[in-house]
Amino acid sequence: MSERDHRVQGVDHVAFPTFDPAATVRFYRDVLGFPVVHSICAAGWGPEDHPDFIHFFFDIGNEDRIAFFYYFGTDPSLGGDEGAKGDVYARFGTDVPEYFVRSRHLAIHVDGEEDLLEYRRRLDASDWPVEMQIQHETIESIYTHDPNGYMVEITRAMRPVTPQEDLDANLTIDALLDVVAEPEPTFGKLLARKAELIVERAAEWESAEQAGRVGAADRELAR
Amino acid sequence: MTTLYVLDVPENTAVATVAAEDPAVTVGQLGPYFVISAAGPIVVDRRATGCRHAVWYSCVGGVARDGRITQHDKDALRVEPV
Repeated sequence: MSERDHRVQGVDHVAFPTFDPAATVRFYRDVLGFPVVHSICAAGWGPEDHPDFIHFFFDIGNEDRIAFFYYFGTDPSLGGDEGAKGDVYARFGTDVPEYFVRSRHLAIHVDGEEDLLEYRRRLDASDWPVEMQIQHETIESIYTHDPNGYMVEITRAMRPVTPQEDLDANLTIDALLDVVAEPEPTFGKLLARKAELIVERAAEWESAEQAGRVGAADRELAR
Repeated sequence: MTTLYVLDVPENTAVATVAAEDPAVTVGQLGPYFVISAAGPIVVDRRATGCRHAVWYSCVGGVARDGRITQHDKDALRVEPV
């Protein structure tokens, strides 16, 4: 556990290249309704023969932003040969498994089912309909690929994250670090190490809710 | 001895409840975890829990070193003594 205070304030922006700014603007601004909030028109400079470019931003809520670079005079071959899978930034052959290709994606949060279904409606009426809608027990998400091939998820929580899940996440990560420090890490080894950490630490754990109740009771007694 | 730890969140409650139906299995609590233990194997029928796959395949919090998972598929979770 770290005692460093946590000062960051979420995503300022995440940035991707595009070779199709028209479709990108249609997808984010006209279909999803994400406002354009900032753009930079810059002449190329620097030692690397940098092309002139436009860097443009869409608001994705909370004043967080998704941004794109469009470089004049370039096309997708800039990033290498066309792949069978992947997007304009990362290309992969047919042999690369789908779970790996899909592992890197952007998930945008919405507050509830009504909002999720509203974005589903907007996408389904566009050239980029929802490809999957998945309701797990704790989250529900819709997925599509934007005009650049980037996988975009919109997700809602079915219930708030509980404090015990934060404890569990920390035990998982500590167990993972122990297991990957040894040769041949496996899921079985992780579960065995995590069981030890549960025995060491779980008994002392007290949920914030319980701590709050005890605190309130103490204050009541002190009156 | 086999000991399986399952985090006590609403989606996992049925895993502990179904495991406890076997008289050879005891279910206790350690902090926010269910402690499911038995002298022999622990078997949980997936359909009896009503869990769908995202929760089902992520419900195991830990398995003590004297046991190991020998089955975790759409039918059942089975933990057996090593």
